[in-house]
Amino acid sequence: MPSLTAPPATTREPWRRVGPPPHRPNIFASMVRGIGGRHWTFKVGTVLLTVIVLVLVLTPWIAPHDPATQDLTNRLAGPSAEHWFGTDHLGRDVLSRLMWGGRFSVTIAAITLTICAVAGTILGALAARRGGWIDELVMRTVDVLVCFPDVVVALFLIALFGTGYGTLIAALTITGWTPFARLMRGLALEINAKEYIEAAEILGSPKWFILFRHVIPNALRPVAAMSFLRFGHKLITVGALSYLGLGVQPPDSDWGKMLLDAQPYMERAPWVGILAGAAIFVTALSVTMIGQGLDLSKPRGPRPQETPTAGTADNESTASTTIEQGTAP
Amino acid sequence: MLMFLIRRTLVLMVTLLVVSVLAFLIPYAGEGDPARKILRARVNDPALTQDQVNALTHELGLDRALHLQYFDWLKQTLTGDFGLSYTSRSPVGDLVLPALSVSITLALSALLLALVFAVPLGIVAATRRGSKLDNAVTFVSQSAVSAPEYWIGPVLVLVFARYLGWLPSGGWNGIAYIVMPATALALRPLGYFTQVTRAAMSEVLAAPYITAARSRGLSFPKTLLRHGMRNSMLPVMTLFSFWFAGLMGGSVVIEVIFNIPGMGRLLYTSVVNNDIPVIQGGMMWILTLAVVVNTVTDLLYGVLNPAIRVTHA
Repeated sequence: MPSLTAPPATTREPWRRVGPPPHRPNIFASMVRGIGGRHWTFKVGTVLLTVIVLVLVLTPWIAPHDPATQDLTNRLAGPSAEHWFGTDHLGRDVLSRLMWGGRFSVTIAAITLTICAVAGTILGALAARRGGWIDELVMRTVDVLVCFPDVVVALFLIALFGTGYGTLIAALTITGWTPFARLMRGLALEINAKEYIEAAEILGSPKWFILFRHVIPNALRPVAAMSFLRFGHKLITVGALSYLGLGVQPPDSDWGKMLLDAQPYMERAPWVGILAGAAIFVTALSVTMIGQGLDLSKPRGPRPQETPTAGTADNESTASTTIEQGTAP
Repeated sequence: MLMFLIRRTLVLMVTLLVVSVLAFLIPYAGEGDPARKILRARVNDPALTQDQVNALTHELGLDRALHLQYFDWLKQTLTGDFGLSYTSRSPVGDLVLPALSVSITLALSALLLALVFAVPLGIVAATRRGSKLDNAVTFVSQSAVSAPEYWIGPVLVLVFARYLGWLPSGGWNGIAYIVMPATALALRPLGYFTQVTRAAMSEVLAAPYITAARSRGLSFPKTLLRHGMRNSMLPVMTLFSFWFAGLMGGSVVIEVIFNIPGMGRLLYTSVVNNDIPVIQGGMMWILTLAVVVNTVTDLLYGVLNPAIRVTHA
């Protein structure tokens, strides 16, 4: 009988034995831990976002009414025990429509954000690691795309390809990956100078392994902060396009579309429009608070609170400093 | 500096090339005969028979290879001639330039308004880091950043135009018409400006030259003005020009809500009506201007900031 045990792969690929880098942060663990002692905006934001996400996930079970059922005898009714947030111009329950609409808004924002974050992070890290013409190509593309306004790019794509979810996501992705690339490039340049990268290179780790095992994992916290900060921006842009009738297409509806539909009745039934806008606002605020909270609490080691003494003169790349360099409207 | 200029000019040209190819392709996308669409922009005659279309198509070279047509089109557009708008039948340039001046006015008023509130807020927060006031400023700036302008806008209209009747609800006819749209538009940049001012000012205040100035007996307000402001305003200026470039064409929703004849609304209506010449002209103008403004900003940044100038030299 020949032995069934393969020779350990590690003898041929010693770099695979390399353990996790020394400061590798566990984003989820540190976020959960963080609720106890991090920056206050982080705590408030986390609570808000948890509630919102729970409500949106549980919508099919907890929505009080069907969002599409019309009751024309009970149009534009004010808040009541039956309809907590009143009814809209077709007599539909506003609360149920807000819950179902939110699922659309948040999902589209989350999808585009994920694509942007992954693409931007990989391209930025690649630019920093490889340098040369790749760096030049990526960063000059960023320079250009970063100053294109989201809505204008969306209009351009709609002129070319018509409206649709594909166009919508593409439009938001084209401009959306650039801040991630800038941030990641800055972080990767710092990480490049670390000893563990040198060690990994000496061990003969392949380039892709260093990139995905050492460089990107060590930059996850600022990237996570940036993701939260950009999430609010995406949500607002998705809403803007729906408000213009170019985002969500009927019969689907989202918060921006609800705001648009409520517009003619703003005077008679202001709560419909105000609530739809407030939903976007509160959700965007919650993620912004989380993002800034993550950014303001320092990454290195367990550090319970931020020292309130004047000035931190560190030059590390953080999500906020990258946003300073440019956040297109 | 010269290398920087050459590089950025190259980038600008490549951008223009890509944008122009995409704009050129708009008539070929979607349904309908591209030749007919292009002719509609060139010939001021609504009822063309198929024979006339065929003749003109050949005459104008619209039956040739796509790349040859592109070069013809590019030559024409580089002189500023994008043809006639489908809807108003006037040359695209006559529509774009007035709209652009309206949008620039609106963008500047909104951003200046944002700056006036953001800089003091940011400085106050930076000088009292960790205090209740600092936390309040942080919360205000986060709220401002998260407030969609298409929510604030209608609410402002409801309160100040409908209920109180102080301001006109839409249009573009003087100072009173700027107030509400500029306010709605100012909120998000206000939030970002505040955050950036606070961050830059905190960093500057921790610098040794501030301690040096204070130890020489300079009062704190004077130190702030002479040393703090000068060194912390650069990032704010960069962000300002960034938003300016974006708002020249990007204030679409606000211009639609307030019925302002600016660039954003022009682009929006042209897309909705599929007014191809206006889309092409508008996009080329706006995207080019955005890149130009940002290139100039980056250049100015190098000129104004000696630290960067040295490293680039």
